[in-house]
Amino acid sequence: MSFDPQDMPVFDAIVYWMVVVGVLSIIVMVVSLLSLLVSHRGAGLRIFAEEILRSLTDLFSLSIRRIWALSKLTFIEAYRRKALAVFVVFALLFMFAGWFMGGDTRDMTTDQVKVYVSFVLRTIAWLTLPLIVVLSSFGIPEEIRVRSLHTVVTKPARRLEIVLGRVFGFSMIGTLVLLVMSGVGYIWIVRQVPASARDMLVCRVPVYGKLQFLDRAGNPADKGVNVGDLWEFRSYIEGATKARAIWVFPGIGERTLDSDGNLHLENQFLAFRSYKGNMKQSLLYDYQFRNPDTGATYTTEARPINENRGVTDVISRKLVSRTDGKTYDLIKDFVARDGTLRIEVSCIDREQYLGMARPDLFIRKPDVSFAVGFFKAAAGIEIMMILVVLLAVTGSTFLKGPIATVLTSVLMILGGEKAHAFMDQLMIGRSDKGGFQGGGFFESIYRIITHMNPTTELPDNMGFTIMTGVDGLLTGFLWLCKQVIPRLQYFNMSEYVSNGFDVPFGSTLLPCLLILVGYFLPCVMLGYFALRIRELESK
Amino acid sequence: MSTSGRSTETVIEIRNLSKVYRDFWGRPKVKALNALSLDVRKGEVFGLLGPNGSGKTTTLKLLLGLLFPTEGEITILGRSAADVAKNERIGYLPEESYLYRFLNAYETLDFYGRLFDMPASQRKERSEKLLDLVKLAPQARHRQLKEYSKGMTRRIGVAQALINDPDLVMLDEPTSGLDPLGNRDMKDLILDLKKQGKTVLMCSHLLADVQDVCDRIAILYGGELKVMGRVDELLKAQDETQILSSKLSDEAIRDIEAVLKKHGADMLKVDQPTANLEDLFLKTVQESRDRPGHRTVKDGAAS
Repeated sequence: MSFDPQDMPVFDAIVYWMVVVGVLSIIVMVVSLLSLLVSHRGAGLRIFAEEILRSLTDLFSLSIRRIWALSKLTFIEAYRRKALAVFVVFALLFMFAGWFMGGDTRDMTTDQVKVYVSFVLRTIAWLTLPLIVVLSSFGIPEEIRVRSLHTVVTKPARRLEIVLGRVFGFSMIGTLVLLVMSGVGYIWIVRQVPASARDMLVCRVPVYGKLQFLDRAGNPADKGVNVGDLWEFRSYIEGATKARAIWVFPGIGERTLDSDGNLHLENQFLAFRSYKGNMKQSLLYDYQFRNPDTGATYTTEARPINENRGVTDVISRKLVSRTDGKTYDLIKDFVARDGTLRIEVSCIDREQYLGMARPDLFIRKPDVSFAVGFFKAAAGIEIMMILVVLLAVTGSTFLKGPIATVLTSVLMILGGEKAHAFMDQLMIGRSDKGGFQGGGFFESIYRIITHMNPTTELPDNMGFTIMTGVDGLLTGFLWLCKQVIPRLQYFNMSEYVSNGFDVPFGSTLLPCLLILVGYFLPCVMLGYFALRIRELESK
Repeated sequence: MSTSGRSTETVIEIRNLSKVYRDFWGRPKVKALNALSLDVRKGEVFGLLGPNGSGKTTTLKLLLGLLFPTEGEITILGRSAADVAKNERIGYLPEESYLYRFLNAYETLDFYGRLFDMPASQRKERSEKLLDLVKLAPQARHRQLKEYSKGMTRRIGVAQALINDPDLVMLDEPTSGLDPLGNRDMKDLILDLKKQGKTVLMCSHLLADVQDVCDRIAILYGGELKVMGRVDELLKAQDETQILSSKLSDEAIRDIEAVLKKHGADMLKVDQPTANLEDLFLKTVQESRDRPGHRTVKDGAAS
């Protein structure tokens, strides 16, 4: 596993959201006011105030019955326009997928199970999302084109209710599609995996801790040793020294243990050998449990690592010291008053190194059913689908159907992890090291034309001050644009399930829900104003 | 109410209303309406007349908030045209019945009823009543609107416009696409709405229809108001007198002509009044229903 699930800092995220939405709202308000002042001169301010008042009135006049009516209408429309024909494609795929993916089911490996799970979840996402993008993007523009929306807006339906009705309606049809596909997909996986390999369909529930290091002299360190890897995900501890990797696991108690009272520790450490040594024998490590409140310690026997498959160590609750014969209770003696358990890992082999990152050691709580993890991953697709509906419906309030489709698709592509990382570099102009490379838009053009080295200082005069100032504004604007593009990588939870993990709430489902909520308010308001200021009969 | 019995309460007030359509770059393209001012009073049937492109549908759309005025002010039922709350008391029948083609008649009315926040029992009761009122055949009520003829679509369009029992009904070309029977039903409906005290604003270029039902009319041309007033007053020929009597002999007609000459007047026309084609058509259809197989051919043979 290379991913590193981190719990979302909810408060920080909310503050960040407020900054972005606040800045965007202020920009929109100022631009609106200025354009009204220009077009209506003295009356502009009155019109602006009236519009704000009217919007607030609309907001407080929302009717659940009207929203439900519009949602139901959207659902019936999609249903009767044969949107559910997507099931035919889905059925065809699943009828023949077994031919290409089956292999010898008697000798099924974890990787094969992984492929099945990934295939099902990706197929569901790839069939549902395009369908929903097209339906949502064409909904309102098509209604405006055929003028059926005219009979709605001439009733007491608020524009906000129209947007909400569309969002909920398309979400409902997407949910139906998703529910059916997920159910069929789950059954398909269970049927494809032979009874002998069913134990691979499991969802481990990991408890991840915080990782810190001690260097070879036993002093606290931010990281371990870098053995020359470009990828700095893992760092290494040196064998037979005081170097330690220390995990502190939160929330440990009786429920962390299995029914027999054992603690399951699962690790996947990597080895780095500074000399060849005994290649037939894996490097050795041990665990040391330490209670910081009482100072009690217990060290396990040395164990070999398994770089390919990892190791699951079962630690008995009752621990007997091999040195003094003293007996410890894992929970009572080593769990600190704040509910944390501290485990120190050391490498036994002299001058050899063990590489590790935060998710490389976790406490495995009692497993949950595969169905739980699978449907949680489906819930991730569901939340992403609703977000996509939201974006598409918002786009469709001011764009024609095909353009709204393209806009939503582009947002989805740019929402990927790599696209965001690229934008970070492109827009902010920062290198991985944090320094600026060649400045902003105008500065970089100036440097290219004049063949000026990026590290050379710009001359200090008024012209260059203005240029860098404008660059700063542009960079800020681009930063805002980047914030508007949702980070969709959070929504892909198939990695967890296909690797046999439960989908964690704090680091996965919660961020997804918060992202959805974060987009909901601005998108709905944007859609509302776009419909409000739009002349539906404009020629 | 005024002393003459006509309401003076204004339902629609339009002042200096102008509408300019602009191109993508904001440059003026067409001036569809120019400084229009008019009032529509409570309980009257008001007709907006004019040739194609005269601005009557634009006026209606401005009233409904589907378009925004370039200049001028509109007040409907005491509220601004931009105020959605005004729609609570308005019914609107668009020129074409732009309804949801995948819904059936009941679903359509139920949907629009929900938009007025009406409870289920009221929606159901009102739907049945309106479908009976617009005479939509019971067997057609469960079919999707895409299977409807133009006349049937028009009927369901009228029903949706009346779902909220509105005080003000706006009808855009209400009789377009209707056969003579439907046309008569529509006109009866408009007169019935008037009897109920509703205000009706309709625009049409079918002059006979307007003449039959409207109390007052405004004629627009090129986006400007050209004529406005009561239909009977506008159509009255001020320098002629018409006397209608039972059938007279030729001698009696000559005597009358002599009397008229004695008073310095000319007899311009002596004729037998004829029913209009619509009346004849309706009479024929009614007779065909009452007496199947009966046929009348005026060029000689009758059966």
